[in-house]
Amino acid sequence: MEKYDVIVIGAGFGGPVAAKKCADAGLRTLIVERSQMPGEKVVSGTYIPAQGFMLGPTWIREGNPPLERAAYGVKIHFIKGGEIYLSLGMTLPTPIAYGAYCRPMCTWLAEQAVKAGAELKTSTTAADVIKEGDYIKGIVTDEGEELRSEVLIDSEGLQNLLAIKAGIRKKYIPEAIELCLEYDFEMASADIEDIFAHHIEFHFAMPEEKIIAPLGQGSVVYLFPYRNSLHTCIGQFLKHEGKVVDTSKLIETYYENYFNTRRWKEVIGPKAKLRAKMWDTCPLYVGLFPEMHEMARCGNGIILIGDAAGFEDTASGAGIPNAWYSADLAADVAIEAVKAEDTSAAFLQKYDELWMAHPAILPSITYSGRRNLLKAQQDESLMVRLAWEQYFGPLSNAVPALSQMKPEDLAAFLPRV
Amino acid sequence: MGKKAIPGVEWVPGTGDFIKIVEESCNGCGDCVKVCLAKCFGLRQEKAYVKSLDNCFECAACWFICSENAIEFSWPKGGTGFRTEFG
Repeated sequence: MEKYDVIVIGAGFGGPVAAKKCADAGLRTLIVERSQMPGEKVVSGTYIPAQGFMLGPTWIREGNPPLERAAYGVKIHFIKGGEIYLSLGMTLPTPIAYGAYCRPMCTWLAEQAVKAGAELKTSTTAADVIKEGDYIKGIVTDEGEELRSEVLIDSEGLQNLLAIKAGIRKKYIPEAIELCLEYDFEMASADIEDIFAHHIEFHFAMPEEKIIAPLGQGSVVYLFPYRNSLHTCIGQFLKHEGKVVDTSKLIETYYENYFNTRRWKEVIGPKAKLRAKMWDTCPLYVGLFPEMHEMARCGNGIILIGDAAGFEDTASGAGIPNAWYSADLAADVAIEAVKAEDTSAAFLQKYDELWMAHPAILPSITYSGRRNLLKAQQDESLMVRLAWEQYFGPLSNAVPALSQMKPEDLAAFLPRV
Repeated sequence: MGKKAIPGVEWVPGTGDFIKIVEESCNGCGDCVKVCLAKCFGLRQEKAYVKSLDNCFECAACWFICSENAIEFSWPKGGTGFRTEFG
């Protein structure tokens, strides 16, 4: 039976960051990943907010990660009768976010953990936890192998199957689960520059347009231009005000209608060649529902990070920075716990103090702006104003330091693309 | 390896039955049918059943929506199921 100081579940965005820190501190560390290659089961139109690189571990921004493209701003287009009738835009002097594909990015993160001395076991599903008395003491793989740990750092994601088996979490409610359908298109880089310049785009529409979920009940149309490709995403919550939504049918209808707008039919579509269709669930508003927000994030021998801990980002929808921050804090506590030979929940709860004191995590999971869009259903001017507050407010105010620094000083905290 | 019904994605066989319906708990509401983009589920004799997991992205929408806890969701066997380089 193999014995580790720390076992990390999942080589997504958070797991490898925790594993690298534990391995750097000399702990015997293992990452268990169910896919053949890290990131190949992660479906996410990914633009990682610049804040993640500024406040996250410095080795990420300094290590030349496989980023696709930097965005310097956001454009929001409002659609009516299939036409854009109003556009808002904001451009900053330094990048606001960086595009990435999940497989190369997660693989790169896992490689950094392995270089630091962590072991990586791919094609291995963690099927259950090992319980001894009140303590979690490791996992059982789908091959029946027992792998023992002093501390289990659980970054399994929003399904949280292990944490539920460990008895410290419950299934998230469907009102907080969004189904996101994504398309990936090949597109020449010259066309990307022409059409999008340095922006990512969000398309809004009133409910009767049936292009996006009614506001607040799902995501707008996201257009993420990469180097030689374009990624699109539309999301819809599974349940709203007690009613199960006809999610799969609606979401396909939204796309049909979006692909019939003039901007798509005449400008973007003719240059875009479909290469992938995929989908996944995504948590949002977990921090706004007390029954979910108040669930434990650690127990005897176990600490949760990222989506497993409910650290989605209600403001931007981009959970990667929170996965990085929480991974870093969980590793600090795990290292101390192993050294002190105390892995009790009472000791590990230091993690709760740390994440609550973090400048970005708590504000991002308790931000209600996006949900407030629900109020804007029938009122266009309110929709425009709330959209402004929702998307540009957090952008300029997220980290006070960001808005106070000169662009040339800020560059030192950002990766080069 | 894999079907070509959905572009840009491969499916590695050998997943096992990682989604199951607990028949005695199922009330036949059809919510799992409504939320599944892969059309994994059907209804017969007022109960849901798994038609096929061939195009499943392991998103667990069915498991999240089921109010009766009649869906048992686990991960496919390690190294199997869907994979994509475009996520």
